Amino acid sequence: MKLLEGIRAVVLADHLVDFGGSILARLGAEVVLAQAAPLTPARAKAWHKGMVRSDAPLETLLDDADILLDDRRSTPRHHVDAMAARYERLVHVVATGFPGETRPVTDLTLMAQSGLMHVTGTPDRPPLRLPGEQAYALTGIQAATAALMGLRARRHTGRGQRITLSALQATALANYREAVMYEHTGRIGTRRGNMLVRGKSGVRQIWPCADGYVTWSMIDNPGMMRALVRVMQTEGAAGELAQIDWEEILVADTDQAVIDRWQDVVAAFFARHDRKTLADWSLEHGWGLSPIIRLSEVRDTPQLKARGVFDPDGVPGAIFAVHAGRRP
Amino acid sequence: MMGALDGLKVADFSWVGAGPRATKDLADNGATVVKIESARRLDLGRRSPPFAGGDGRNPDASVFFAQTNTSKRSVTINLSDPRGVDVAKRLVAWADVVVENFGPGYMDRIGLGWDSLQDIRPGIILASVSVAGRTGPMAGFRGYGNSAAAWSGHCDMTGWPGSEPHMPPFAYGDVVAPMMLTVAILSALEHRDRTGAGVWVDVSQIEAMVQVAGDLFAEMPAEKPANDDPDMTPHGVFPCRDSQWIAIACENDAQRAALEEILGNAAVAEATAGRDASALETDLVAAGIPAAAVLDGKGVSEHPALNAAGHFVRVEHPVIGPAKMPAPPYTFSDTPGDVRPSPCLGADNAAVFEKIGLTEAEVAELVAEGALA
Repeated sequence: MKLLEGIRAVVLADHLVDFGGSILARLGAEVVLAQAAPLTPARAKAWHKGMVRSDAPLETLLDDADILLDDRRSTPRHHVDAMAARYERLVHVVATGFPGETRPVTDLTLMAQSGLMHVTGTPDRPPLRLPGEQAYALTGIQAATAALMGLRARRHTGRGQRITLSALQATALANYREAVMYEHTGRIGTRRGNMLVRGKSGVRQIWPCADGYVTWSMIDNPGMMRALVRVMQTEGAAGELAQIDWEEILVADTDQAVIDRWQDVVAAFFARHDRKTLADWSLEHGWGLSPIIRLSEVRDTPQLKARGVFDPDGVPGAIFAVHAGRRP
Repeated sequence: MMGALDGLKVADFSWVGAGPRATKDLADNGATVVKIESARRLDLGRRSPPFAGGDGRNPDASVFFAQTNTSKRSVTINLSDPRGVDVAKRLVAWADVVVENFGPGYMDRIGLGWDSLQDIRPGIILASVSVAGRTGPMAGFRGYGNSAAAWSGHCDMTGWPGSEPHMPPFAYGDVVAPMMLTVAILSALEHRDRTGAGVWVDVSQIEAMVQVAGDLFAEMPAEKPANDDPDMTPHGVFPCRDSQWIAIACENDAQRAALEEILGNAAVAEATAGRDASALETDLVAAGIPAAAVLDGKGVSEHPALNAAGHFVRVEHPVIGPAKMPAPPYTFSDTPGDVRPSPCLGADNAAVFEKIGLTEAEVAELVAEGALA
């Protein structure tokens, strides 16, 4: 179902709004890519998906457009303002790197300013970014959101409007924890690798298994711990864990040496089984474990295949599933 | 002036992060969002730190909850009581949009499944967000914060080349899925306004994380990219004085030449070591080079550009006191948003229950019997 059928958008892309235009296109809007900064072929395949390129003059394209996504990451494009203002019903989304200014930014420098890189990675290595181009992707989603809110407002006012969006804010908004934690506790997060630290101890999040890795953590959830240990007992692998009353234990208050000893027992158990076996047990018994799926395996997972997430071109298509409702 | 979403009515059954962040987007922009909660099954967000005054027992002291639920209203309804469900149905009849992120099948079990919602309110939009989606072999999957990162390839691709998978240090699925949910709701409204038909939009955290890694699926790199880029050099994070770091990314020859003029011919990491990250950022940016000091939570909180832009709005919360809340990253010229404090638990019971037609006596009786609690 094409939710945005009948909507027309024009996109001037320079990394910040590319994905936003593609989102609108994949939801059924007719989206024209009027200008675009160069991308690698792979990035163009993903971020420009669904948009149609056009060399027509911008003014011509705007004649019947509802939305203009206007990316000013590296170019001020001031002349576009006067042109856009002539179209009373146009929803004009202007995206910049920093609020209201053209300043040199890239995905990496935006991530650096978000507070997220500071806590990603290991203490012995430099701060690390999330994979892909997350600052650009986050900004693109916000560009689509702003455009759709502008359309909604237009239904009431009959007019379009100018909406400014900054990539710095879009990226910083994804960091829901570090700034607020500092403000209210004075604590500053650090890079902990794969260790989940709660209270006086830290627990592992990533575990090798027979054919890769799984993620699971020994947290204060007695039901989950009992469910895991029951299967380990059946498999003859529970060791001292079988004697522990998990209702009486607070993992967060347990000495690290004890946690490490318990985790060694779990590690030996996980190492003997493959991801599917462990994931199936988790689903059946409620362990909260997930297999770590390799990037190359994601397309073929039964869930994503059943939901039709990837198109034949190998990149994701539909943004979400839509189930039709009854017509009133 | 009105907000962009003035007049939009949302019955919000969602909790913790993945649903509430989407309904915050709507509420901050003028929608009336009524959050259906219960003291008997407290939103786990209300139990999430940090807490004002360190008071983790007060359901209204969580700053995590406060920043995730700005501008909303709160009512307390016991959905395990059929009379509570009847009240919830009145809210559905009032609403344009119902939002939920319950466990699999819960809405059906309490009589608020998709078919029932349409019976109550023809043209309703149902917005669901879950780890794996509401259809497919994993429709019944109960996940945790790490699940979407594990299933989407993010965990596999995070980290340094040759290292084991790395779990992002925060629930990124709880960030991108609600953003997609907001897009889904707004798109569904556009569709309904045009056709009159409601829809059920079904957002999956795994799929949202797959979408934002679209470039990786197109490229299918054999190794984790870490801080490298296929198109830019230098492109990385380099050491500075006092354990600071600076990110530098050159997109073209002009930027590379400017960088060499400032740092000289030495290796970048050698040239940045010993310099102040913030001062170096200023020099590089002035020369047109994308550069930024790596900020921690304090740096983000005190960021001059973020604060000047109104990224944090100071609100007065009745329990937390004055506190900075994140605002939307966009500004509307004609329909500005308005970020207001999050509601205390059940703060809007009287006003909302009156709006949906309950008398004071009926409310008192339902409260006494535990249906509104």
